[in-house]
Amino acid sequence: MPYALVAPIVVVLGAILGYPVYYLVRLSLEKYGLFELIQHHGTYIGLHNFGSVLHDSVFWHTLLRTVVFTVANVTLTMVLGVLIALLLVRVSTWVRLLVTAGLVLVWSMPPVVAVQVWSWMTNVQNGILNYLLTELHVGNFFQHNWYLTTFSQYSMVTTLIVWGALPFVAITVYAALSQVPHELVEAAQIDGARAWRVLKDVTLPVLTPVLLILTSLSIIWDFGVFTQPYLLIGPGQQTTSNYLMSVYLYVEGYGQTNFGRGAAISILMLAIVAAMSVVYVRRMLRVGEEQ
Amino acid sequence: MRYRILAVLAAALALGVVAATAGASGQRAQANTLTVWLQVDAQNGWPNVVAAANSAFEASHPGWTVNVEYQQWTDHLQKFDATIAGNDTPDVIEMGNTEMTKYMASGAFANITADKSQFANSSKWLEGLTASSTYHNKLYGVPYYAGSRVITYRSDLFAKAGIKKVPKSLSQFQADLVKVGKMEKHVKGFAPLYVGGEDWYTALGFVFDYNGSIATYKHGKWIGTLDSKNSIKGLTRFKQFFDATQPKSTANLDGSNPYPYTVFSQGKTAANYGPAWYTCCTGKKYAKVTKQFVMPSHVAGQPMPGFLGGSDLSVPAQSSNKAEALAWIADFTSTTSEKALQAKGNIPNATNLLTNAVNDRAAAKSWFVPQATNWVNVENGNILKTMLAQLLSGQLSVTKAAEVASQNIAQTLNQS
Amino acid sequence: MSRRRTPVLGWNLVGIVLFAVMVFPVFWMVSTAFKSDDEIYSFTPTWFPGHPTLHHFRTAIDRPYFWTDVKNTVIVVLITVAIALVLSFFAALALAKYRFTGRKLFIVLVIGIQMLPPTGLVIPLYVVLARYQEVNKLSGVILVYLTFALPFCVWTLRGFLIGIPKELEEAAMVDGSTRLGAFVRILLPLVAPGLVATSVFAFITSWNEYIFARTLLSSGSTQTITVWLSYFYGGARSVDWGAVMAGSTLISIPVVIFFLLVQRRIAFGLTAGAVRG
Repeated sequence: MPYALVAPIVVVLGAILGYPVYYLVRLSLEKYGLFELIQHHGTYIGLHNFGSVLHDSVFWHTLLRTVVFTVANVTLTMVLGVLIALLLVRVSTWVRLLVTAGLVLVWSMPPVVAVQVWSWMTNVQNGILNYLLTELHVGNFFQHNWYLTTFSQYSMVTTLIVWGALPFVAITVYAALSQVPHELVEAAQIDGARAWRVLKDVTLPVLTPVLLILTSLSIIWDFGVFTQPYLLIGPGQQTTSNYLMSVYLYVEGYGQTNFGRGAAISILMLAIVAAMSVVYVRRMLRVGEEQ
Repeated sequence: MRYRILAVLAAALALGVVAATAGASGQRAQANTLTVWLQVDAQNGWPNVVAAANSAFEASHPGWTVNVEYQQWTDHLQKFDATIAGNDTPDVIEMGNTEMTKYMASGAFANITADKSQFANSSKWLEGLTASSTYHNKLYGVPYYAGSRVITYRSDLFAKAGIKKVPKSLSQFQADLVKVGKMEKHVKGFAPLYVGGEDWYTALGFVFDYNGSIATYKHGKWIGTLDSKNSIKGLTRFKQFFDATQPKSTANLDGSNPYPYTVFSQGKTAANYGPAWYTCCTGKKYAKVTKQFVMPSHVAGQPMPGFLGGSDLSVPAQSSNKAEALAWIADFTSTTSEKALQAKGNIPNATNLLTNAVNDRAAAKSWFVPQATNWVNVENGNILKTMLAQLLSGQLSVTKAAEVASQNIAQTLNQS
Repeated sequence: MSRRRTPVLGWNLVGIVLFAVMVFPVFWMVSTAFKSDDEIYSFTPTWFPGHPTLHHFRTAIDRPYFWTDVKNTVIVVLITVAIALVLSFFAALALAKYRFTGRKLFIVLVIGIQMLPPTGLVIPLYVVLARYQEVNKLSGVILVYLTFALPFCVWTLRGFLIGIPKELEEAAMVDGSTRLGAFVRILLPLVAPGLVATSVFAFITSWNEYIFARTLLSSGSTQTITVWLSYFYGGARSVDWGAVMAGSTLISIPVVIFFLLVQRRIAFGLTAGAVRG
């Protein structure tokens, strides 16, 4: 019986995912450019694509940049998300409802929409950000271009991504916090335990699994992020000096019709992500086993 | 019972698939539609020329309709590749003359050598454009129009600043712009010249003005030459000129967002450097004071070499309407059409149509990109834009930025 | 547990500031959409539209392909959700109610696929679909969306199904009805909220999807609405920010509505996380 229930989905996934994955491996061993695309037929060249990617300093720089970017984004998201959750515990009910409503609203913004709003707010001529910073006397930001240097570009991308990711983290952590048994906290407080001890001995054990899952999910998402950097920085501004992994793969493989090379980069990237997901998958597997 | 569930499942799946294909098949073009991809320039600059060609074609081909889809330069090739992959190409596509080689070499376009005579003035086509649509002595495209780059300026502002004559040299032009800039300081956000730092057609004009170049082909290999002595001289001069006449915040703008003529029409600049048809869009308010001259060289009395841009019209090899596609192209590049394009500030596709317009004079001294199969990847990889943003914003020195770009260009061009 | 008054007041203040900062971009989008061009392009911005106008909404809707692309998106999303829901319900049932060999492997597959970065699969999916002439067609995109919607739906539904006590099922069977009957009469009403929540999440994910839509759909008439919006600016002349913001607002509305619908379930589980961009 269970097999009959599972069979259709396995067949569908096998057909629309299994075959492309097989094809990915095959493509990575082939020369497959515009000419081959027209012929619908590649030429086998062995491991040449992998060799050329691994010997390309652009690949290594991109990898390093992506790792730094991921660490920065995940750290900001997690720290701010937990702080917001802790805040939600402390405020009055109506403020909590207000903030939660705001968070849900932000959560529901489609990424492409968020990108448009961001580029409008950071517009050189009429962006509200430049106006506000100038008015608040942070400095003269009149016609300041936020996309002039790679660092500045990614500061903007980071604010956008963290802003979009905060609601998920904050709300989930808050939900976990409300699972912390009240009696325990009170008991500890009556015993005269200091705040941080309560946090360490009572709150953290409940939070740890949730934080672990959230962190690994964030790492995986931010490592493979595409829409925000690609659109916010702009398709015409993607270069070897500001690629992230996904964008690199998209531009070198798809944009320049070099599918074989693109496939090789894809495989390397998938391998890295797979290695990173091990922690998460194992944990979820345990959840799946518990019934 | 198991079967019942499976039956429900199968029914649901079938329903989904039917709905999916129904949704998709609605999108397929009808048999008698000729799909044409033109660039937005036509939509903005000369929609009437397009409309005229369409009605001429539809009159001579009863039952046919022309569907013109306007494309952006930034991603039309990626979209075109997708249609090649899906065997769903347009019947006619406008290609930039720098983009042709890769596609001709890959067999993406129909060979139209035998059809050449059916196009007006085809024996007098501009050499540059004909060369860009020829590969191994076979013709794969029809020259559409060319464009040289000229200075479009506000004559009222120049006059007000006491500038009576059109500048004869680069340094004089720069001094004039600085003067205008000082005078208009009260206008918030005013830039004497507005081009956008990443507009590499402008920057490379300086390189060629100092006898520099982009890349040369030697012993079967491409060598990047942007870091040669002369090229560096040109780039250094460009940075100087840019720093004096444009705000730094435009260092990484490529002139497509905002368009230079939009800035012009908002009264926030005194001059643009770009295609002569910019006059189309400088705004009603300034229509009378919009004038043009040829960009001067650093050598007094000479013009600066300008990029000879242009477009060709090709028929994708997978199109099943080749005859109709060629007929439409013939209508669109007729003498009347080309003259109308010329009136809009373009260079027509044949020498017998040339006049003494500012545009045609500017074309006298021009430069072109290396004719390498992979050149288009240099453009797609934004290598030149990166270099310019880096050196203009001060992230890298001129020499360093040029060295990096030069290496990247050589690597890209030599990739098999 | 009497808390002192001042700290709560202070925290409330922080909460309100946080709310303002987080919501500001959304507010700015809507506010800009209703402003006149003069207000939008002024160097000193106004907070609220002085003379609210629908002009930009009209411009956005009148842009080529708006309705076509909305229609495309609705078709893609509805079919994806429908197929995903049916297929994944049965698989979720198997996971929640049965132990079987290969179960573990199946779980790893379901979770693993959700972890794959979509960009990594753009190239092979593109080339494979191209071979079968499925590029630039909605059916191709639906197939791709299914790969990502299915695992997610299985996992979420499984969570809802586990919550249903076995006794209820068994009680229904004792009545002499078949298992399918039991399923329809007793299980279905209980799972309904879970089905709704899952389909809404799947709906939002597909509605928001960008990279595959951009890669696989190349002409204006076959695109989805997110791609339509992303091409908004490269448009003619300069960017019409008022219209871009109006278009953005229009595209967000369905998502916001659906999000509010399942809002309470969001706190339920991590599963909702898959909805993120």
